[in-house]
Amino acid sequence: MNANKKGTPFIEVKNLTVHYTSEGKVIHAVNNVSFSLEKGETLGLVGETGAGKTTIAKSILRILPEPPAQVDGGEILLEGKNILALSNDDMRKIRGRKISMIFQDPMTALNPVMRIGNQIAEGIALHEKVSGKAAEEKAKKMLEMVGIPGSRYRDYPHQFSGGMKQRVVIAMALACSPDLLLADEPTTALDVTIQAQVLDIIKNLQQELNTAMIMITHDLGIVAEVCDNVAVVYAGEVVEYGSREEIFDHPWHPYTVGLFGSLPDINSDVERLSPIAGMPPDPSNLPEGCAFAPRCPYAAAECRKAAVELKSLGGTHICRCIRQMEAVQAPGAGHN
Amino acid sequence: MSETLMEVKHLKKYFDTPKGMLHAVDDVTFSIGKGKTMGVVGESGCGKSTLGRTLIHLYESTDGQIIFKGEDITHVGKHKMHKLREQMQIIFQDPFASLNPRMTVEETIREPLELTGKFKKGELQDETDRIMEMVGMDERLRYAYPHELDGGRRQRVGIGRALALNPAFVVCDEPVSALDVSIQAQVLNLLQDLQEKSGVTYMFVTHDLSVVKHISDNICVMYLGQLVETTTSKELFENPRHPYTKALLSAIPSVDIHNKKERIILQGEIVSPIEPKPGCRFAARCPYAAEKCREPQKLQEISRDHFVSCCRLGEIN
Repeated sequence: MNANKKGTPFIEVKNLTVHYTSEGKVIHAVNNVSFSLEKGETLGLVGETGAGKTTIAKSILRILPEPPAQVDGGEILLEGKNILALSNDDMRKIRGRKISMIFQDPMTALNPVMRIGNQIAEGIALHEKVSGKAAEEKAKKMLEMVGIPGSRYRDYPHQFSGGMKQRVVIAMALACSPDLLLADEPTTALDVTIQAQVLDIIKNLQQELNTAMIMITHDLGIVAEVCDNVAVVYAGEVVEYGSREEIFDHPWHPYTVGLFGSLPDINSDVERLSPIAGMPPDPSNLPEGCAFAPRCPYAAAECRKAAVELKSLGGTHICRCIRQMEAVQAPGAGHN
Repeated sequence: MSETLMEVKHLKKYFDTPKGMLHAVDDVTFSIGKGKTMGVVGESGCGKSTLGRTLIHLYESTDGQIIFKGEDITHVGKHKMHKLREQMQIIFQDPFASLNPRMTVEETIREPLELTGKFKKGELQDETDRIMEMVGMDERLRYAYPHELDGGRRQRVGIGRALALNPAFVVCDEPVSALDVSIQAQVLNLLQDLQEKSGVTYMFVTHDLSVVKHISDNICVMYLGQLVETTTSKELFENPRHPYTKALLSAIPSVDIHNKKERIILQGEIVSPIEPKPGCRFAARCPYAAEKCREPQKLQEISRDHFVSCCRLGEIN
């Protein structure tokens, strides 16, 4: 497990590009996305519906429905090894064991006609090659870890509340102590007090097991609570990346700034929010140049000409904007 | 204090279920000032939507009183209700489910105008156009059907339809929960603009505390059918008193990364609202619960306009 040589990140996504084909249209869901992550770290993938966040996660786990999806290029290196090149059999050994995923909707992630204990034990028996009895023991331990009494092992999903079902899904995802956890909006379906409980459980288990985590969310509050690094995704591209402090203290990309302006903040009193004008672009018909330009208050002619490269802002902070100086100096931008 | 538009006294709404009586709204009392926004927050199943729907007679109340513009409307006949509908409207959470899939944007917005019979043929079209412009619908979407619109535009149609007849009172039932943040902000601003122009009174039902703080003048916090605390928005966030309100506010993930606040993580599960025991329903999860919490609780005014329903207030604060 500690084979991380210096210079080889635990997981590295390089130039990942994915498209879907639907009704003859090509939908560019993920375009040239790169990031890396070390063990024990949490990366937040932030963006709106349709930005491609979930597609990125599903590519890492290789559970994209192909077709209509197709990975056009890029590499996903797990400890230096490209998992996109693995056979299905080899990939099956990685899923659940090295990489696992918490899905957004616990109601559909669980098998309704299977006892929840068995659903957790299934993965343990498969990966750890232990007896049914031992798998059951471990599954009960996992249930208790997420605050559900082991005596409910033989209950069915419908006998649980939404928050408890999500905790079952978390227990399942963490049962084989994965090295990488993909959490896809794990608390979106939950109430806020239950959300606080669930985030607490995820954070504690992650620290205990030194798991790397990719937290997919549209909620900047959750990012502030749990993430070390943040990647802001817009129209299938990473438009800004940096440490939590870099992003929250000095948001650079006009889209990131717009996201903060759209958010009603509990700590301040503003009369009116400053929303981002317009709508996200149609992913089957992305604009030339910067995909955000049509909605951007600082867009210039040059923004619409050619694809914009990521530029370093110092530290780990990178941003895909050629007008960022103007953007940040404009009134209302930035946080200070 | 502004003039009161809507007053609710000891309102109850029970549903008969196979397992027994479900106490969705249990003895709720509050009032809403004219032109103001009353936020109603609480977690799923706390009765906040039922409360909104009972107020505008989408559900018949079980007990209690609803007073609208000084008139008791708890029990009104069909004819009278038809008249009242013009003045009380609702914006639903899911604009896809609430819009007729076979009607275009224009038809949807025009329908309430036709039904009142107040407009002549020529005026009808002008009025429809005015409303489309008011809610920011593009001219080119006039003949679009709901499935051709994104969530934000669908919700604009829902708002247009609800506000078409210039109602005095509108229940907004989670109107932005299904929308992305950037679109959510557009719709919230639209609702505020319309209120400024027409002086409409909102009851804003949501589980999102930052949204409710942003838009409301006053807030009711509900827990399993009971009103646990109500006061002005400012006072509630600065000085929450009920243990549930405190836990709820502390659970909001904040974007302020430098000032971490103390989290109150609640233990225990939400109890069932079916045939509940008397007393405080939050007691099962409350860190301060004591024997006397099992007796029925009273809403007490602890300072001007600040009402809390908790018998242990004196001891825990």
